[in-house]
Amino acid sequence: MSVLSIRGATKRYGKVTAVNEVSFDAKPGRILGFLGPNGAGKTSTIRMIADITAPDEGEVLFDGRPVGPWSQKVMGYLPEERGLYRKLKVSSQLLYLAALKGVPRAEAKQKMQYWARRFGMERWLSHKTQELSKGMQQKVQFIAAILPEPRLLILDEPFGGLDPINSELLREIIREFKEAGRTILFASHRMEQVEQLCDDICLIARGKVLVHGGLREVKASYGRNTLLLDFAGDGTFLAPFERAGAIEIKTRSAHRAEMRVRDTTAPRAILEAMLDQAIQVYRYELAEPSLAEIFISEVERS
Amino acid sequence: MNSMMIIARSEFLRRATSKVFIITTLLAPIGLIVFIAITVLASIATIGGDDPLTIAVVDETGFVLDRILEEEFEHTLVRAGVAAARDGVLTGRYDGYVTIPSGVATGEESVSYYALEGEGYGAVGDLRRSIRTAVRDHRIEEAGISEDVLDIVNTRVFVESVRLSPARPSAEESSTEAYPEQGGFGLGMTMGLLIYMGMLVYSSVLMQGIIAEKQTRIVEIILSSARPFNLLMGKVLGIGATGLVQLMAWVLILLAITTFGGMIVVTFFDPALLGAETATSTEELLAAADISLPTLRFGMLVWCILFFLGGFLLYAGLFAAIGSMVEQPQDAQGFMLPVMLPLIASLMFMAAVLESPNSSLAVILSMIPFTAPVSMIMRMAATNVPFWEVLASYMLMVAGFTTTMWVASRIYRVGILMYGKKASVRDAIRWFRHA
Repeated sequence: MSVLSIRGATKRYGKVTAVNEVSFDAKPGRILGFLGPNGAGKTSTIRMIADITAPDEGEVLFDGRPVGPWSQKVMGYLPEERGLYRKLKVSSQLLYLAALKGVPRAEAKQKMQYWARRFGMERWLSHKTQELSKGMQQKVQFIAAILPEPRLLILDEPFGGLDPINSELLREIIREFKEAGRTILFASHRMEQVEQLCDDICLIARGKVLVHGGLREVKASYGRNTLLLDFAGDGTFLAPFERAGAIEIKTRSAHRAEMRVRDTTAPRAILEAMLDQAIQVYRYELAEPSLAEIFISEVERS
Repeated sequence: MNSMMIIARSEFLRRATSKVFIITTLLAPIGLIVFIAITVLASIATIGGDDPLTIAVVDETGFVLDRILEEEFEHTLVRAGVAAARDGVLTGRYDGYVTIPSGVATGEESVSYYALEGEGYGAVGDLRRSIRTAVRDHRIEEAGISEDVLDIVNTRVFVESVRLSPARPSAEESSTEAYPEQGGFGLGMTMGLLIYMGMLVYSSVLMQGIIAEKQTRIVEIILSSARPFNLLMGKVLGIGATGLVQLMAWVLILLAITTFGGMIVVTFFDPALLGAETATSTEELLAAADISLPTLRFGMLVWCILFFLGGFLLYAGLFAAIGSMVEQPQDAQGFMLPVMLPLIASLMFMAAVLESPNSSLAVILSMIPFTAPVSMIMRMAATNVPFWEVLASYMLMVAGFTTTMWVASRIYRVGILMYGKKASVRDAIRWFRHA
């Protein structure tokens, strides 16, 4: 059962159609990776989900009802372009944002203490926001988004600017939210992060959905068409295959190559050629394409 | 609590507890008191003079100097001939010298005072008074005029100007509404300026707040919890409340000054200097010093606050729309001028309105919502404005701020999320139609 469902949503700004009949779903207890190149319409779509703007056509449903002030109370949003009141104390800031979500003050204070402790920033609560480092401010913004314990959490590039330790903490908390049955919409350009975290993906470009579904299913649908090689030797054995158009080399370094296979008989022939010509073979893997590769090929094709 | 009230509360508390707010609220009236005190002290300095001077007197009448010396005189007077007096001043022995020709006794000649440039003029006023008294007393004695006649001649008449109001019997007015003309002028000016400052400062504060929210992009987070209209109105109410508190604090302090100000002023004066008895009342003393302090009436205060609020809402709408159209405070400059023009106009016509508060210019200015807050309050301070006129002006103002707020909220909800290029008036019109 979907919690969030976008049905044919269209948003125009003047003559530009930012979002064009977009439809997708997000399910509870799952993380939906929301992908797209710059200017694809991600932020416009997210704004409609957060009920900041209304679609010109189509609808955005939460629990089967059109979104509105009621759904804003159960959504948390961390925008990509982030800001805080610079002169306000961190604690005042968090309590104000929590109050706007309808969290009672006493409860908000308790939760603020809990999250500040987890992020190791209790002593910063009484400081003005402008005294905090950028990474520290980002943690404040993240706490602001999760403090009301929203049923739908929208995170737009949440890891940007965070060090590995804090990134890991964030990942841990996102997983906790997922296990608690909450729905997470995770918008990012960082394919390896999406691959690590997400259960489902939705890829949009130029305002249209290109790919939508479970991460595994999407990847499987592309088949095992990617060949990964690690070897010692000069690798000239690949040249005839490339010339014949049987393979398309994606990345290539001295002892390593990644390619897409066009001709289904090629993998076997390449293995034979490599065994014959390379000094040593370390790795031969016929794999599903990486998300980055799916992303690039889909966007190029569209 | 409704999101609008949460926002209003936060905006109010954030600003009303800031150091700048507390300091300006308290310091502005203190500044006013200091200003008044300096003015008073300066006038005392000119009345009282500073150090006693040594002055040579060339007395040809034969009685003036003797009469002056009978009384206590602040400066040292030395009898001298013209040549010696002149010489003494040039060598610095005397601060100045005065010649009293014999014709002074009959009013045919005048007294001359000689001193080096920039020196010894502090005594001129005192000398004039003393010589005048000496000559008058001498002539009265010579003429053999009786005490009764003297009393008649010395009778002083005070003129009290009373504003007529058709609504109330005149007997009541004269007892409760004695009104000094000059006070009305000063009061109108003060109130008009306060309202002008209040509207301008707090509308700008609102605009800066809107630009800051847009610039830091926090607005996107707030809008995921509140409607744009609620955010805008919450800010307007919160900031308006801050302005109201400040204005009320200032008005109350002003009220205290006008009530107790007389006593403050009097403490600076030595009654003897004004030729009054030591035991005279504050009012008599102020009258003697020719200082009139305005009296504030309660109804006037209420209208002052109402017109401030109306004017603030009117201009807040315009400033909010501008704030939502730009990303940087400096980009707002270009849009500000046309909005500021009516405000500046109401300042420019300030004196004209106060001098003839019932002229058609004053009436028109007090009816146009953009100039009404300043102009109407000044008219009300200067004259008795018919109630229906005040009410009509206020109704127009309500219509005015409802319109600007409505237009602003439509521009705001689109503009606040627009980034990249500076918006033009044409964009704003498009947003207004679209929203």
